[in-house]
Amino acid sequence: MKVFSFVLVFLITVVLGYVVSIPMGPAPPVAPLLDPNHGFWQNMYSEDQLAEETIQLEGLSAPVKVAYDENLIPHIFAQNEEDLYRVQGYVTAQHRLWQMEFQTMAAAGRISEIVGPVALELDRMTRRKGLAYGAELGYEFVKENHPEMLVLLEAYADGVNQYIASLDDARLPVEYKILNYHPENWSSYKSLLLLKYMSDMLVGDRDLQYSNLRKILGEEKLDLLFPEFPEENDPVIEAERVWDFEPIQVNSPEEGTYPDDKLVIDPLPQPEEGVGSNNWAVAGSKTKNGNPILANDPHLSLNLPSLWYSMQLSTPEHRVKGATLPGALGVISGFNENIAWGVTNATKDARDWYKITFQDDSRKTYRYGNEWREASHRIEEIKVKGQEPYYDTVVYTHYGPVVYDRTFGSERQDMNFALKWTAHMGSNEQLTFIKMNKAKNHDDYNDALNHFTAPAQNFVFASVSGDIAMRIQGKFPVKWDKQGKFFMDGADPQMEWQAFIPNEHNPSTLNPERGFVSSANQHPVDPSYPYYVFDNSYEHYRNRRLNNRLREMNSITVDQMKELQFDDYYLHAAEALPVMLELLGNETGGDEKAEKYLSELKSWDFYADPNQKGPTLFYTWWNKTYNQIWNDWMEWDEPVVYPNNYETVRLLKNNPSSEFFDHVNTELKETASNHVRKGFAEMVESMKEWEQEEGDYTWANYKRTSIQHLVPQFRPFSVENVYTGGGRGILNATSERHGASWRMVVELGTPIKAFGIYPGGQSGNPGSKFYSNFISKWANGDYLNFDLRSEDQEEDLLFQTTFTN
Amino acid sequence: MKFLLYLLLSFVLVFFLNPFTPFWGAMIGLGVLALVIQPGGAAAFFGGGFGMSLAWMGLAVYLNIETGSSLPDKMAQLFGLGNGTLLILATGFLGFLLGAFSSWSGQLLRNLLKKKPENIYRG
Repeated sequence: MKVFSFVLVFLITVVLGYVVSIPMGPAPPVAPLLDPNHGFWQNMYSEDQLAEETIQLEGLSAPVKVAYDENLIPHIFAQNEEDLYRVQGYVTAQHRLWQMEFQTMAAAGRISEIVGPVALELDRMTRRKGLAYGAELGYEFVKENHPEMLVLLEAYADGVNQYIASLDDARLPVEYKILNYHPENWSSYKSLLLLKYMSDMLVGDRDLQYSNLRKILGEEKLDLLFPEFPEENDPVIEAERVWDFEPIQVNSPEEGTYPDDKLVIDPLPQPEEGVGSNNWAVAGSKTKNGNPILANDPHLSLNLPSLWYSMQLSTPEHRVKGATLPGALGVISGFNENIAWGVTNATKDARDWYKITFQDDSRKTYRYGNEWREASHRIEEIKVKGQEPYYDTVVYTHYGPVVYDRTFGSERQDMNFALKWTAHMGSNEQLTFIKMNKAKNHDDYNDALNHFTAPAQNFVFASVSGDIAMRIQGKFPVKWDKQGKFFMDGADPQMEWQAFIPNEHNPSTLNPERGFVSSANQHPVDPSYPYYVFDNSYEHYRNRRLNNRLREMNSITVDQMKELQFDDYYLHAAEALPVMLELLGNETGGDEKAEKYLSELKSWDFYADPNQKGPTLFYTWWNKTYNQIWNDWMEWDEPVVYPNNYETVRLLKNNPSSEFFDHVNTELKETASNHVRKGFAEMVESMKEWEQEEGDYTWANYKRTSIQHLVPQFRPFSVENVYTGGGRGILNATSERHGASWRMVVELGTPIKAFGIYPGGQSGNPGSKFYSNFISKWANGDYLNFDLRSEDQEEDLLFQTTFTN
Repeated sequence: MKFLLYLLLSFVLVFFLNPFTPFWGAMIGLGVLALVIQPGGAAAFFGGGFGMSLAWMGLAVYLNIETGSSLPDKMAQLFGLGNGTLLILATGFLGFLLGAFSSWSGQLLRNLLKKKPENIYRG
C-alpha cells in the first residue's frame, strides 16, 4: 500500500511538474511564467528601481558614464567612439532587447521560428524580396570598403551581447516569456539588416498596377488622370533652382519595345498609405532670434515599443542627441553642437520588375539578348517552430531575385519576374549616420550623405553658422522617359538601368532666397530637372500647406514651429468640400439628420481638431464619393492604381461631366453630382449607424488612433483610442495607425535649444512606468526638453551608471 | 501545531530557495523537507501547499505594492483572466498544487523507508 501510494503521489507530482513546464498549444509554460521569482511578475519593475551604480563591461578602454534624465533618456559620455558604441549597444539592449531582435527577425524572414507555421508565407515573401541578401551584400561592402566601420559595428554588437549574457530569467523581457523563446546573439550583420528593413517599410512600386491600367485605359487617359507633375507642383527643391550641370545621357529603347503587354501577377505588399514625413528649416532671416530653426517629424506606423529610442551620445570630440533606431549605431534624426538634420522619405520608384524567360524547367538559364545567361539558386532554410524546417529555392538573375515563381504565387499564372532594387546593391548607410553625428558644417553633411543609398531620403540641414540646406539622397538610376513605370522585358538588354545619377546631380539646395527649405514627400523637383523622376505616392497637400505657411511667416519662434508640426488644417477638405457642396445642391433627402450633418459641414473651419465633427463627416462623405466614382475600376479583375485625391478633386471641379464619371454598366449617364449625392446619402446612413452604435462622432472618437504593440495579438500592451487630431494629408499626419513617430524642433543658437517627443516611452517593457508615458504629451502637441547635457550636469537626473572594464 | 510549524518552514524554504532555482527546485526542496521533518500526511500536503502558495502570492503582492505596475492587469487581459487580482490567486493556486504534492511525495517516501512494509499488494 505504502509503495503504491508513494508511487501514485510521486507520479502525480512529476506529471504535474512536467505539465506546468511545457507549452500548452499557443500558451507558454505556466509555471515559469507565474513563478513570481522568475516569471512575468519580475517585469513589473521600472528601470529606475533596477538602477545600478556600476556595471562591468569588458572591452572598454576607459570608464563610460551614463546619466539618465527624468524621462529615462540616457546620456552617454565616453572617451572614444569604440567605447561609445559598445555602451550604446548595451544600454539600448537593456531597454529594447526584445524589439530590436524581433524587428531583425522580421527583416530576415524568421518569424516562423518564433510563432510557427502561421508566419511561413510572410517569411517566404520577405526572403524572396531579398532583404537578407541585401544585408549580406552590405556586410561584404562594409568589410571591403570601410573596415574601420566594422570595428564600431562589432563594438555595438558586443555591447548588446554582453547584456544578453548578463540576463537572468527574471530580467528577460516579458515578450520572450509569453512567446517562450530566448534571445540569440546580436551581430554587425543584424544592424545592417535593420536598415534594410527600413528600406522595405518605406519603398513601394506600382509597376504592375500601372501596366494593367495603361493596357485598359490607353496612354492618353492614363496621362490625363496620372500626370507626372501635378498642376500646382510645390516641389521639395524650390522651383526656381537652376540646374547647373550636364546630365548623363542614356539610350532609350527602340520604338514599340516598351511598354510591353498586360502581365498579371500578385502585387507585392506595399507600404501603408499615409507613411510620410515632414521636415523643414528656416533661415535666421525669418526667425525672431535670428537663428535657423529645424523641424522634423517622420510619420510611420505607430507602434509600441516605439520605433525610436532617444539618446545623447558624447565623446570629447562631439555631443549628439536625438532619435536612434534600436539596433543601429548613432543618432538617425537629431543635432549636435554645430548642426541639426532630419529625414523624410524621398521615394522615387527604386524598384523595377523584369520578366524572365527561362530556357527550361530547371531554371538554370534565362534569355538575355541573343544568349542564355546563368541564374543562381539560393536555398532559404526557414526554421518553423514545432515543425521541420522549410526549404525554399529562390532563383537569382543579374537583375535580382525572382520573387514570384511556380512555387510561390503561381496560382496566378506561371509568372517569373525579377526584382531590381537599389537595396540589393552593396552600400553603407550606417556610415552616413556615424559621420553626420560628428558633422560640423554643410561640407561634412554632404560628405556623410555621399554614402547613403537606400531608402532615399530628403535630408534637411541647418547649422549654428547660419546655413540651411536640403538634399535628396539615394542611389537613383538614370532612366529614360517612363522607364520602370511599367513592367519591362528582362530578355531585352535595352531595358537595363544604364547608369546612376552622380551624387552631385542629386537635387539639392543651400540657403535658397525664400529663406526656408522643406519636404513633405512631394515631387522632389520642378519639371526643369534634367532626369526622369517618377513615383506613384507623391504628396499633394501637406507640402502646399507647409510651404504656404512658411512663405507667409516671419520672425518665427520655436513655439510656432511646434504648432506647425501639430497643424490640423485639412487642405484636401478645404479644396474638396466647397466643390462637393456645390455639386450636392439641395439634394439632402429632406432627412432631419442629413440637414444637421450638412449644417455642421457648412460651418466647419477645415481644422481636423479632435473635438470637431466636420472632419468625420467630410472624411466619410469623401470616401463614399471616391468609391462611387471609381467603382467601375474596383470591379476589374486586375489590380490597378486609382487616381489620387488631388486629381479626383480636380476632375470634380473642372470637368464634372467627364466621361470618367459615367459607369458603363448603368443606363444613366452619370456625372460628378450623381456620385457626390450618392456619397452623401451613404454618408448619412453610415453616420446614423455610428451614432446609434457608438454615439459621439467627433473626430478623435471616430478616428481612434491606436498605438499598437508589435505583436498585434498583445492588445493589452497597446494604447488605444488616443485623443488627438490630424489625419492623412494633414501636417499633423496622425491617422488611425500612422502618424508622427517622432517630432523634433531645434533652434540653432548658442546654446542650441531642442525639443522632442515620440508616441511611446523609453522602456520597451509593458510593465514599466516608462513604457508609454510620452503618449499623452505627444497627443497634446507637447514636447520634452532635449537640450544637450554636459557630463557634470546634476539637475533632473533619474540615476547614473558608470561602465568600467 | 506541527502543521503550522511545517507550513512556516515550507514558506521559509520556498522564500529563500526559489530565487536561485527554477520552480522545480522549490518542489524538490519541499520533498526533501518533508522527508526530513516528517510532518505527517495531511500536514505535509496542506503545510507544503500553503507554504509555497503563500510564498508565491506574498511575493506577487509585494511586487504589486513595490512597483505599482499595471502589468498584472495587462497579463490577465491577455490570458482572458479578468484582472490582476485573479492572477495573484491563480499564482497561489499553482503554488499550492506544486507545494502540496511535492511535500506529500516526500512524506510518503519517508513512510516507505521508515519501516519494512508488512503487506505488499501487487496489482
